Amino acid sequence: MVAAPPVAVRALRCPSCGAAIEQRGFDHTRSVACASCFAVLDAADPSLRVLTRFAGHLRVRPQIPLGTRGQVGGAPYEAIGFMQRSIAVDGERYAWREYLLFNPYRGFLYLTEYDGHWNLVRTVRALPERVHQGGRLAARYGGDTFRHFQTAVAGTDFVLGEFPWEVRAEDRAEVRDFIAPPRVLSAESTDDETAWSLGEYVTGAWVWKTFELPGRPPAPRGVYANQPSPFAAARRSVWQVFMLFLIALVAMAAVRYADAPAQVLRESRQLAPGQLDPYVTESFTLGGRTSNLEVRVGSDVSNSWFYLVFALVDEGSGRAVDFAREVSYYEGVEGGERWTEGSRTDRVRIPSVPPGRYYLRVAPELAPDAVRPVSYTLTLRRDVPSGGFYAVALLLLLVPPVWVTARAAAFESTRWMESDYGSATGNAAASDGEDDD
Amino acid sequence: MTRHLAYLAYGTALLALLGFAEYRGWSLLRTSETRNVPRSVRDNPGAYRSPYVGGGRILRGK
Repeated sequence: MVAAPPVAVRALRCPSCGAAIEQRGFDHTRSVACASCFAVLDAADPSLRVLTRFAGHLRVRPQIPLGTRGQVGGAPYEAIGFMQRSIAVDGERYAWREYLLFNPYRGFLYLTEYDGHWNLVRTVRALPERVHQGGRLAARYGGDTFRHFQTAVAGTDFVLGEFPWEVRAEDRAEVRDFIAPPRVLSAESTDDETAWSLGEYVTGAWVWKTFELPGRPPAPRGVYANQPSPFAAARRSVWQVFMLFLIALVAMAAVRYADAPAQVLRESRQLAPGQLDPYVTESFTLGGRTSNLEVRVGSDVSNSWFYLVFALVDEGSGRAVDFAREVSYYEGVEGGERWTEGSRTDRVRIPSVPPGRYYLRVAPELAPDAVRPVSYTLTLRRDVPSGGFYAVALLLLLVPPVWVTARAAAFESTRWMESDYGSATGNAAASDGEDDD
Repeated sequence: MTRHLAYLAYGTALLALLGFAEYRGWSLLRTSETRNVPRSVRDNPGAYRSPYVGGGRILRGK
Protein backbone atom coordinates (compact mmCIF):
# COMPACT_ATOMS: atom_id res chain seq x y z
CA MET A 1 0.00 0.00 0.00
CA VAL A 2 1.32 3.42 -0.88
CA ALA A 3 1.38 5.83 2.00
CA ALA A 4 -0.60 9.00 1.54
CA PRO A 5 1.83 11.64 0.37
CA PRO A 6 1.81 14.99 2.04
CA VAL A 7 -0.19 17.34 -0.07
CA ALA A 8 1.37 20.69 -0.70
CA VAL A 9 -1.40 23.21 -0.99
CA ARG A 10 -0.55 26.45 -2.65
CA ALA A 11 -2.66 29.37 -1.40
CA LEU A 12 -3.77 31.84 -4.04
CA ARG A 13 -6.12 34.75 -4.16
CA CYS A 14 -8.57 35.33 -6.97
CA PRO A 15 -7.64 38.50 -8.84
CA SER A 16 -11.25 38.90 -9.85
CA CYS A 17 -13.05 38.73 -6.49
CA GLY A 18 -10.25 38.37 -3.95
CA ALA A 19 -11.46 35.02 -2.62
CA ALA A 20 -8.90 32.52 -1.37
CA ILE A 21 -8.09 29.66 -3.74
CA GLU A 22 -6.17 26.49 -3.01
CA GLN A 23 -4.03 24.70 -5.56
CA ARG A 24 -3.24 21.01 -4.95
CA GLY A 25 -2.13 19.73 -8.30
CA PHE A 26 1.43 21.02 -8.21
CA ASP A 27 2.79 22.05 -11.57
CA HIS A 28 0.23 19.88 -13.36
CA THR A 29 -2.43 22.50 -12.76
CA ARG A 30 -3.02 24.72 -15.77
CA SER A 31 -6.23 26.39 -14.64
CA VAL A 32 -7.99 27.02 -11.35
CA ALA A 33 -11.62 27.91 -10.91
CA CYS A 34 -12.64 30.37 -8.21
CA ALA A 35 -15.51 28.95 -6.14
CA SER A 36 -16.79 32.46 -5.41
CA CYS A 37 -16.98 34.23 -8.75
CA PHE A 38 -16.54 31.20 -11.07
CA ALA A 39 -13.67 32.85 -12.88
CA VAL A 40 -11.19 30.35 -14.31
CA LEU A 41 -7.63 31.50 -13.74
CA ASP A 42 -4.40 30.67 -15.54
CA ALA A 43 -2.38 28.84 -12.86
CA ALA A 44 0.79 29.13 -14.91
CA ASP A 45 0.54 32.91 -14.97
CA PRO A 46 2.04 34.60 -11.87
CA SER A 47 -0.70 37.22 -12.02
CA LEU A 48 -3.43 34.54 -12.36
CA ARG A 49 -5.02 36.08 -15.41
CA VAL A 50 -8.65 35.25 -15.96
CA LEU A 51 -9.05 32.67 -18.71
CA THR A 52 -12.83 32.56 -18.76
CA ARG A 53 -15.92 33.04 -16.65
CA PHE A 54 -18.83 30.70 -16.24
CA ALA A 55 -22.34 31.97 -15.80
CA GLY A 56 -22.84 32.67 -12.12
CA HIS A 57 -26.44 31.48 -12.09
CA LEU A 58 -25.46 27.86 -12.62
CA ARG A 59 -24.08 26.45 -9.41
CA VAL A 60 -23.63 22.73 -9.10
CA ARG A 61 -22.60 21.20 -5.81
CA PRO A 62 -20.19 18.30 -6.23
CA GLN A 63 -21.26 15.09 -4.55
CA ILE A 64 -17.60 14.50 -3.78
CA PRO A 65 -16.38 17.71 -2.12
CA LEU A 66 -13.08 18.94 -3.52
CA GLY A 67 -10.23 17.97 -1.24
CA THR A 68 -11.84 14.60 -0.41
CA ARG A 69 -9.40 11.72 -0.59
CA GLY A 70 -9.92 8.05 -1.25
CA GLN A 71 -7.97 4.90 -2.03
CA VAL A 72 -8.26 3.95 -5.68
CA GLY A 73 -6.28 0.95 -6.87
CA GLY A 74 -4.27 0.97 -3.65
CA ALA A 75 -3.20 4.58 -3.95
CA PRO A 76 -4.65 7.72 -2.40
CA TYR A 77 -6.30 10.11 -4.79
CA GLU A 78 -7.71 13.52 -4.04
CA ALA A 79 -10.63 15.17 -5.77
CA ILE A 80 -9.16 18.44 -7.03
CA GLY A 81 -11.45 19.41 -9.89
CA PHE A 82 -15.11 19.22 -10.76
CA MET A 83 -17.01 20.14 -13.86
CA GLN A 84 -20.45 19.68 -15.27
CA ARG A 85 -20.63 19.03 -18.97
CA SER A 86 -23.59 18.48 -21.23
CA ILE A 87 -24.68 17.50 -24.68
CA ALA A 88 -27.81 18.44 -26.55
CA VAL A 89 -29.70 15.68 -28.35
CA ASP A 90 -32.92 16.48 -30.20
CA GLY A 91 -33.16 19.77 -28.33
CA GLU A 92 -32.83 18.13 -24.95
CA ARG A 93 -29.81 18.75 -22.75
CA TYR A 94 -28.16 15.86 -20.94
CA ALA A 95 -25.66 16.86 -18.26
CA TRP A 96 -23.11 14.77 -16.45
CA ARG A 97 -20.50 15.51 -13.84
CA GLU A 98 -16.77 14.82 -13.94
CA TYR A 99 -14.41 14.71 -10.98
CA LEU A 100 -10.69 15.06 -11.44
CA LEU A 101 -8.74 12.84 -9.05
CA PHE A 102 -5.05 13.41 -8.48
CA ASN A 103 -2.19 11.44 -7.03
CA PRO A 104 1.21 13.14 -7.29
CA TYR A 105 2.93 9.85 -8.18
CA ARG A 106 0.31 8.26 -10.37
CA GLY A 107 -1.25 11.26 -12.04
CA PHE A 108 -4.89 11.82 -12.86
CA LEU A 109 -8.04 9.74 -12.84
CA TYR A 110 -11.56 10.84 -13.59
CA LEU A 111 -14.84 9.87 -12.03
CA THR A 112 -17.90 10.61 -14.11
CA GLU A 113 -21.48 10.54 -12.92
CA TYR A 114 -24.74 10.60 -14.85
CA ASP A 115 -28.11 9.91 -13.21
CA GLY A 116 -26.43 7.95 -10.44
CA HIS A 117 -24.25 5.91 -12.82
CA TRP A 118 -20.52 6.20 -12.17
CA ASN A 119 -17.45 5.47 -14.26
CA LEU A 120 -13.82 5.45 -13.23
CA VAL A 121 -11.94 6.80 -16.23
CA ARG A 122 -8.29 6.93 -17.16
CA THR A 123 -6.67 8.20 -20.29
CA VAL A 124 -5.19 5.66 -22.68
CA ARG A 125 -1.87 6.00 -24.42
CA ALA A 126 -2.27 3.60 -27.31
CA LEU A 127 -4.51 4.62 -30.16
CA PRO A 128 -7.55 2.35 -30.51
CA GLU A 129 -8.08 0.80 -33.92
CA ARG A 130 -11.13 1.91 -35.89
CA VAL A 131 -13.07 -1.12 -37.15
CA HIS A 132 -16.58 -2.08 -38.16
CA GLN A 133 -18.68 -4.73 -36.51
CA GLY A 134 -22.01 -5.77 -37.95
CA GLY A 135 -21.98 -2.79 -40.28
CA ARG A 136 -21.52 -0.43 -37.37
CA LEU A 137 -18.57 1.65 -36.32
CA ALA A 138 -16.48 0.08 -33.57
CA ALA A 139 -13.10 0.46 -31.93
CA ARG A 140 -10.61 -2.20 -30.94
CA TYR A 141 -8.51 -1.66 -27.87
CA GLY A 142 -6.64 -4.10 -25.67
CA GLY A 143 -7.95 -7.05 -27.67
CA ASP A 144 -11.59 -6.09 -27.11
CA THR A 145 -14.07 -4.62 -29.53
CA PHE A 146 -16.07 -1.64 -28.37
CA ARG A 147 -19.25 -0.89 -30.31
CA HIS A 148 -20.10 2.66 -31.16
CA PHE A 149 -22.85 3.99 -28.93
CA GLN A 150 -23.14 7.72 -29.35
CA THR A 151 -21.48 10.76 -30.85
CA ALA A 152 -22.31 14.23 -29.56
CA VAL A 153 -20.79 17.65 -29.08
CA ALA A 154 -20.16 18.33 -25.42
CA GLY A 155 -19.84 21.72 -23.76
CA THR A 156 -18.68 22.69 -20.30
CA ASP A 157 -21.35 24.28 -18.12
CA PHE A 158 -19.67 24.69 -14.78
CA VAL A 159 -16.27 24.13 -13.19
CA LEU A 160 -14.77 24.10 -9.72
CA GLY A 161 -11.21 23.43 -8.60
CA GLU A 162 -8.24 22.93 -10.84
CA PHE A 163 -7.43 21.19 -14.09
CA PRO A 164 -4.33 20.17 -16.01
CA TRP A 165 -5.54 22.04 -19.08
CA GLU A 166 -6.85 25.51 -19.77
CA VAL A 167 -10.58 25.39 -19.20
CA ARG A 168 -12.64 27.80 -21.28
CA ALA A 169 -16.37 28.36 -21.18
CA GLU A 170 -16.63 28.19 -24.93
CA ASP A 171 -14.79 24.85 -25.15
CA ARG A 172 -16.58 22.34 -27.35
CA ALA A 173 -15.50 18.79 -28.02
CA GLU A 174 -16.94 16.01 -30.11
CA VAL A 175 -17.38 13.01 -27.84
CA ARG A 176 -17.64 9.52 -29.30
CA ASP A 177 -18.48 6.69 -26.95
CA PHE A 178 -17.82 3.02 -27.71
CA ILE A 179 -19.01 0.40 -25.29
CA ALA A 180 -18.10 -3.10 -24.20
CA PRO A 181 -19.92 -3.34 -20.87
CA PRO A 182 -18.76 -2.74 -18.22
CA ARG A 183 -16.24 -0.57 -20.06
CA VAL A 184 -16.59 2.48 -22.25
CA LEU A 185 -13.98 3.84 -24.61
CA SER A 186 -14.36 7.53 -25.29
CA ALA A 187 -12.73 9.81 -27.83
CA GLU A 188 -12.84 13.56 -27.27
CA SER A 189 -11.90 15.54 -30.32
CA THR A 190 -11.22 19.23 -30.59
CA ASP A 191 -9.78 21.09 -33.54
CA ASP A 192 -6.30 20.33 -32.26
CA GLU A 193 -6.35 16.82 -30.86
CA THR A 194 -8.21 13.65 -30.02
CA ALA A 195 -7.89 12.22 -26.55
CA TRP A 196 -8.95 8.67 -25.77
CA SER A 197 -10.02 7.44 -22.36
CA LEU A 198 -11.19 4.15 -20.95
CA GLY A 199 -13.90 4.06 -18.33
CA GLU A 200 -15.13 1.21 -16.19
CA TYR A 201 -18.55 1.18 -14.59
CA VAL A 202 -18.46 1.41 -10.81
CA THR A 203 -21.34 1.55 -8.40
CA GLY A 204 -22.34 4.54 -6.35
CA ALA A 205 -21.77 2.38 -3.27
CA TRP A 206 -18.13 1.92 -4.32
CA VAL A 207 -17.70 5.67 -4.74
CA TRP A 208 -19.28 6.37 -1.35
CA LYS A 209 -17.13 3.76 0.35
CA THR A 210 -13.94 4.83 -1.41
CA PHE A 211 -14.31 8.49 -0.49
CA GLU A 212 -16.06 7.82 2.83
CA LEU A 213 -18.95 10.05 1.85
CA PRO A 214 -21.81 10.51 4.29
CA GLY A 215 -25.23 9.06 3.60
CA ARG A 216 -26.11 6.83 0.69
CA PRO A 217 -25.45 7.33 -3.01
CA PRO A 218 -28.42 8.36 -5.14
CA ALA A 219 -30.03 5.36 -6.81
CA PRO A 220 -29.11 5.09 -10.49
CA ARG A 221 -31.90 5.86 -12.92
CA GLY A 222 -32.42 4.00 -16.17
CA VAL A 223 -29.80 1.91 -17.90
CA TYR A 224 -26.43 3.50 -18.62
CA ALA A 225 -24.43 2.93 -21.79
CA ASN A 226 -21.83 0.60 -20.30
CA GLN A 227 -23.77 -0.59 -17.29
CA PRO A 228 -23.22 -4.36 -16.98
CA SER A 229 -26.42 -6.27 -17.46
CA PRO A 230 -27.48 -8.09 -14.30
CA PHE A 231 -29.14 -10.65 -16.55
CA ALA A 232 -26.22 -11.46 -18.85
CA ALA A 233 -24.51 -14.04 -16.66
CA ALA A 234 -27.85 -15.31 -15.39
CA ARG A 235 -29.03 -15.83 -18.94
CA ARG A 236 -26.05 -17.99 -19.80
CA SER A 237 -26.20 -20.13 -16.69
CA VAL A 238 -29.98 -20.57 -16.71
CA TRP A 239 -29.74 -22.02 -20.22
CA GLN A 240 -26.98 -24.34 -19.00
CA VAL A 241 -29.29 -25.61 -16.27
CA PHE A 242 -32.06 -25.95 -18.83
CA MET A 243 -29.81 -28.11 -21.01
CA LEU A 244 -29.26 -30.44 -18.04
CA PHE A 245 -33.01 -30.72 -17.57
CA LEU A 246 -33.50 -31.29 -21.28
CA ILE A 247 -30.99 -34.14 -21.21
CA ALA A 248 -32.81 -35.64 -18.21
CA LEU A 249 -36.17 -35.23 -19.94
CA VAL A 250 -34.94 -36.90 -23.14
CA ALA A 251 -33.42 -39.73 -21.09
CA MET A 252 -36.70 -40.24 -19.25
CA ALA A 253 -38.62 -40.31 -22.53
CA ALA A 254 -36.10 -42.70 -24.08
CA VAL A 255 -36.45 -45.13 -21.18
CA ARG A 256 -40.24 -44.81 -21.22
CA TYR A 257 -40.62 -45.31 -24.94
CA ALA A 258 -38.06 -48.13 -25.09
CA ASP A 259 -40.66 -50.73 -24.08
CA ALA A 260 -43.62 -51.09 -26.43
CA PRO A 261 -46.91 -51.00 -24.51
CA ALA A 262 -48.58 -54.38 -24.11
CA GLN A 263 -51.71 -54.94 -26.20
CA VAL A 264 -54.39 -56.50 -24.01
CA LEU A 265 -57.37 -56.63 -26.35
CA ARG A 266 -58.27 -56.15 -30.00
CA GLU A 267 -61.86 -56.56 -31.21
CA SER A 268 -63.63 -55.53 -34.39
CA ARG A 269 -67.32 -54.78 -34.71
CA GLN A 270 -69.79 -53.45 -37.21
CA LEU A 271 -72.48 -50.92 -36.48
CA ALA A 272 -75.62 -50.90 -38.55
CA PRO A 273 -78.78 -48.84 -38.16
CA GLY A 274 -81.13 -50.80 -35.98
CA GLN A 275 -78.38 -53.04 -34.57
CA LEU A 276 -77.06 -50.95 -31.69
CA ASP A 277 -77.46 -53.19 -28.68
CA PRO A 278 -74.89 -52.80 -25.89
CA TYR A 279 -72.35 -55.60 -25.66
CA VAL A 280 -69.36 -56.64 -23.59
CA THR A 281 -65.93 -57.60 -24.78
CA GLU A 282 -64.14 -60.72 -23.73
CA SER A 283 -62.38 -60.45 -20.38
CA PHE A 284 -58.73 -59.45 -20.27
CA THR A 285 -56.08 -59.23 -17.57
CA LEU A 286 -54.22 -56.02 -16.72
CA GLY A 287 -50.99 -56.92 -14.99
CA GLY A 288 -48.18 -55.03 -13.35
CA ARG A 289 -48.62 -51.87 -11.34
CA THR A 290 -51.44 -49.35 -11.41
CA SER A 291 -51.07 -47.62 -14.75
CA ASN A 292 -53.07 -46.26 -17.65
CA LEU A 293 -55.07 -48.14 -20.26
CA GLU A 294 -55.29 -46.79 -23.77
CA VAL A 295 -58.47 -47.39 -25.77
CA ARG A 296 -58.00 -46.81 -29.48
CA VAL A 297 -60.93 -46.75 -31.90
CA GLY A 298 -60.24 -47.17 -35.63
CA SER A 299 -63.15 -47.02 -38.08
CA ASP A 300 -64.24 -46.57 -41.69
CA VAL A 301 -66.89 -43.97 -40.84
CA SER A 302 -67.49 -41.44 -43.59
CA ASN A 303 -69.77 -38.39 -43.59
CA SER A 304 -71.29 -39.60 -40.38
CA TRP A 305 -70.57 -40.14 -36.72
CA PHE A 306 -70.88 -42.78 -34.09
CA TYR A 307 -70.68 -42.60 -30.35
CA LEU A 308 -69.39 -45.28 -27.99
CA VAL A 309 -70.34 -45.28 -24.33
CA PHE A 310 -67.78 -47.32 -22.42
CA ALA A 311 -67.67 -48.87 -19.00
CA LEU A 312 -64.43 -50.53 -17.98
CA VAL A 313 -65.63 -53.03 -15.41
CA ASP A 314 -63.35 -54.63 -12.83
CA GLU A 315 -64.68 -58.15 -12.47
CA GLY A 316 -63.16 -58.53 -9.02
CA SER A 317 -64.32 -55.36 -7.30
CA GLY A 318 -67.39 -54.50 -9.34
CA ARG A 319 -65.99 -51.04 -9.92
CA ALA A 320 -66.58 -49.49 -13.33
CA VAL A 321 -64.98 -46.49 -14.99
CA ASP A 322 -67.41 -44.74 -17.34
CA PHE A 323 -66.41 -42.66 -20.30
CA ALA A 324 -67.61 -42.03 -23.84
CA ARG A 325 -66.01 -41.19 -27.16
CA GLU A 326 -67.34 -39.86 -30.41
CA VAL A 327 -65.82 -40.58 -33.77
CA SER A 328 -66.91 -38.42 -36.70
CA TYR A 329 -65.50 -37.92 -40.14
CA TYR A 330 -66.79 -35.82 -43.00
CA GLU A 331 -65.31 -35.29 -46.41
CA GLY A 332 -66.26 -33.82 -49.75
CA VAL A 333 -65.30 -31.59 -52.63
CA GLU A 334 -66.24 -27.95 -52.71
CA GLY A 335 -65.21 -25.44 -55.33
CA GLY A 336 -62.94 -28.04 -56.87
CA GLU A 337 -61.09 -28.56 -53.59
CA ARG A 338 -61.28 -31.63 -51.41
CA TRP A 339 -62.00 -31.08 -47.74
CA THR A 340 -62.16 -33.27 -44.68
CA GLU A 341 -63.25 -32.72 -41.12
CA GLY A 342 -62.79 -34.90 -38.07
CA SER A 343 -61.00 -38.20 -37.89
CA ARG A 344 -61.81 -41.87 -38.41
CA THR A 345 -59.79 -42.78 -35.36
CA ASP A 346 -59.82 -41.81 -31.72
CA ARG A 347 -57.61 -42.57 -28.79
CA VAL A 348 -58.00 -42.07 -25.06
CA ARG A 349 -56.12 -43.09 -21.96
CA ILE A 350 -57.94 -44.17 -18.83
CA PRO A 351 -55.87 -43.01 -15.87
CA SER A 352 -54.52 -45.15 -13.04
CA VAL A 353 -56.19 -48.48 -13.64
CA PRO A 354 -55.19 -51.03 -10.95
CA PRO A 355 -54.16 -54.51 -12.06
CA GLY A 356 -56.98 -57.04 -12.29
CA ARG A 357 -59.42 -58.84 -14.56
CA TYR A 358 -61.58 -56.53 -16.65
CA TYR A 359 -64.03 -56.36 -19.52
CA LEU A 360 -65.44 -53.45 -21.49
CA ARG A 361 -69.13 -52.84 -21.73
CA VAL A 362 -69.81 -50.87 -24.92
CA ALA A 363 -73.07 -49.13 -25.86
CA PRO A 364 -72.81 -47.80 -29.42
CA GLU A 365 -74.85 -45.01 -30.95
CA LEU A 366 -74.94 -44.20 -34.64
CA ALA A 367 -76.00 -41.05 -36.45
CA PRO A 368 -79.73 -41.36 -37.14
CA ASP A 369 -79.21 -40.45 -40.79
CA ALA A 370 -76.46 -43.03 -41.31
CA VAL A 371 -77.18 -45.00 -44.46
CA ARG A 372 -74.45 -47.57 -44.33
CA PRO A 373 -72.84 -49.66 -41.62
CA VAL A 374 -69.69 -48.52 -39.83
CA SER A 375 -66.91 -50.95 -39.02
CA TYR A 376 -64.63 -50.21 -36.14
CA THR A 377 -61.86 -51.86 -34.16
CA LEU A 378 -61.13 -51.45 -30.47
CA THR A 379 -57.50 -51.82 -29.43
CA LEU A 380 -56.54 -51.71 -25.75
CA ARG A 381 -52.94 -51.18 -24.67
CA ARG A 382 -51.53 -51.08 -21.16
CA ASP A 383 -49.03 -48.56 -19.72
CA VAL A 384 -48.79 -46.19 -22.69
CA PRO A 385 -46.40 -43.20 -22.44
CA SER A 386 -48.04 -39.78 -22.47
CA GLY A 387 -46.15 -37.66 -24.96
CA GLY A 388 -48.22 -34.63 -23.98
CA PHE A 389 -46.82 -34.74 -20.45
CA TYR A 390 -43.29 -34.52 -21.81
CA ALA A 391 -44.29 -31.60 -24.03
CA VAL A 392 -45.90 -29.79 -21.10
CA ALA A 393 -42.85 -30.46 -18.93
CA LEU A 394 -40.61 -29.08 -21.66
CA LEU A 395 -42.69 -25.91 -21.91
CA LEU A 396 -42.71 -25.42 -18.14
CA LEU A 397 -38.94 -25.97 -18.00
CA LEU A 398 -38.54 -23.31 -20.68
CA VAL A 399 -40.38 -20.65 -18.68
CA PRO A 400 -37.49 -19.51 -16.42
CA PRO A 401 -34.80 -19.32 -19.16
CA VAL A 402 -37.17 -17.59 -21.55
CA TRP A 403 -38.12 -15.11 -18.83
CA VAL A 404 -34.47 -14.34 -18.00
CA THR A 405 -33.67 -14.01 -21.71
CA ALA A 406 -36.57 -11.62 -22.18
CA ARG A 407 -35.40 -9.52 -19.23
CA ALA A 408 -31.86 -9.46 -20.65
CA ALA A 409 -33.20 -8.39 -24.04
CA ALA A 410 -35.33 -5.68 -22.43
CA PHE A 411 -32.27 -4.42 -20.55
CA GLU A 412 -30.25 -4.24 -23.77
CA SER A 413 -33.14 -2.61 -25.57
CA THR A 414 -33.32 0.08 -22.89
CA ARG A 415 -29.57 0.58 -23.10
CA TRP A 416 -29.56 1.08 -26.85
CA MET A 417 -32.64 3.30 -26.78
CA GLU A 418 -30.30 5.98 -25.45
CA SER A 419 -27.80 5.50 -28.25
CA ASP A 420 -27.53 6.99 -31.71
CA TYR A 421 -29.16 3.84 -33.01
CA GLY A 422 -32.50 4.17 -31.31
CA SER A 423 -34.95 1.46 -30.36
CA ALA A 424 -35.01 -0.55 -33.59
CA THR A 425 -31.29 -1.10 -33.74
CA GLY A 426 -31.18 -1.43 -30.01
CA ASN A 427 -33.51 -4.37 -30.11
CA ALA A 428 -31.38 -5.96 -32.76
CA ALA A 429 -28.35 -5.38 -30.66
CA ALA A 430 -29.92 -7.11 -27.72
CA SER A 431 -29.16 -10.53 -29.15
CA ASP A 432 -25.43 -10.07 -29.03
CA GLY A 433 -25.14 -7.21 -26.62
CA GLU A 434 -23.50 -9.25 -23.92
CA ASP A 435 -20.71 -10.82 -25.87
CA ASP A 436 -18.13 -8.84 -24.05
CA ASP A 437 -19.29 -9.64 -20.56
CA MET B 1 -25.42 -22.77 -11.20
CA THR B 2 -25.85 -21.87 -7.56
CA ARG B 3 -27.61 -18.67 -8.57
CA HIS B 4 -30.38 -20.80 -10.02
CA LEU B 5 -31.17 -22.92 -6.99
CA ALA B 6 -34.83 -22.05 -7.32
CA TYR B 7 -34.83 -23.14 -10.97
CA LEU B 8 -32.96 -26.33 -10.05
CA ALA B 9 -35.55 -27.11 -7.39
CA TYR B 10 -38.43 -26.22 -9.71
CA GLY B 11 -37.09 -28.30 -12.61
CA THR B 12 -36.25 -31.26 -10.41
CA ALA B 13 -39.72 -31.21 -8.87
CA LEU B 14 -41.26 -30.93 -12.33
CA LEU B 15 -39.34 -33.94 -13.66
CA ALA B 16 -40.15 -35.91 -10.50
CA LEU B 17 -43.83 -35.11 -10.99
CA LEU B 18 -43.59 -36.16 -14.63
CA GLY B 19 -41.94 -39.43 -13.64
CA PHE B 20 -44.57 -40.12 -11.00
CA ALA B 21 -47.41 -39.24 -13.40
CA GLU B 22 -45.98 -41.63 -15.96
CA TYR B 23 -45.40 -44.34 -13.40
CA ARG B 24 -48.96 -44.13 -12.11
CA GLY B 25 -50.43 -43.66 -15.57
CA TRP B 26 -52.09 -40.29 -15.05
CA SER B 27 -54.28 -38.96 -17.81
CA LEU B 28 -56.30 -35.84 -18.47
CA LEU B 29 -59.37 -37.92 -19.41
CA ARG B 30 -62.45 -37.04 -17.40
CA THR B 31 -64.21 -40.20 -16.29
CA SER B 32 -66.86 -41.05 -13.78
CA GLU B 33 -66.91 -44.09 -11.61
CA THR B 34 -69.63 -46.54 -10.81
CA ARG B 35 -69.31 -48.91 -7.88
CA ASN B 36 -70.90 -52.26 -7.22
CA VAL B 37 -71.59 -53.14 -10.82
CA PRO B 38 -73.61 -56.38 -10.66
CA ARG B 39 -72.05 -59.45 -12.21
CA SER B 40 -75.21 -59.86 -14.29
CA VAL B 41 -74.01 -57.05 -16.56
CA ARG B 42 -71.60 -59.55 -18.09
CA ASP B 43 -74.60 -61.53 -19.34
CA ASN B 44 -77.00 -58.63 -19.79
CA PRO B 45 -75.05 -55.56 -20.95
CA GLY B 46 -78.25 -53.61 -21.53
CA ALA B 47 -78.97 -53.60 -17.83
CA TYR B 48 -76.08 -51.24 -17.12
CA ARG B 49 -76.90 -47.52 -16.95
CA SER B 50 -74.02 -45.28 -17.94
CA PRO B 51 -74.04 -41.57 -17.11
CA TYR B 52 -72.94 -40.94 -20.70
CA VAL B 53 -75.92 -42.48 -22.42
CA GLY B 54 -77.47 -40.14 -24.95
CA GLY B 55 -74.42 -37.93 -25.25
CA GLY B 56 -74.09 -38.62 -28.91
CA ARG B 57 -77.67 -37.98 -29.85
CA ILE B 58 -77.14 -34.51 -31.12
CA LEU B 59 -78.43 -33.82 -34.57
CA ARG B 60 -75.61 -32.73 -36.76
CA GLY B 61 -74.14 -33.45 -40.15
CA LYS B 62 -73.25 -31.75 -43.36
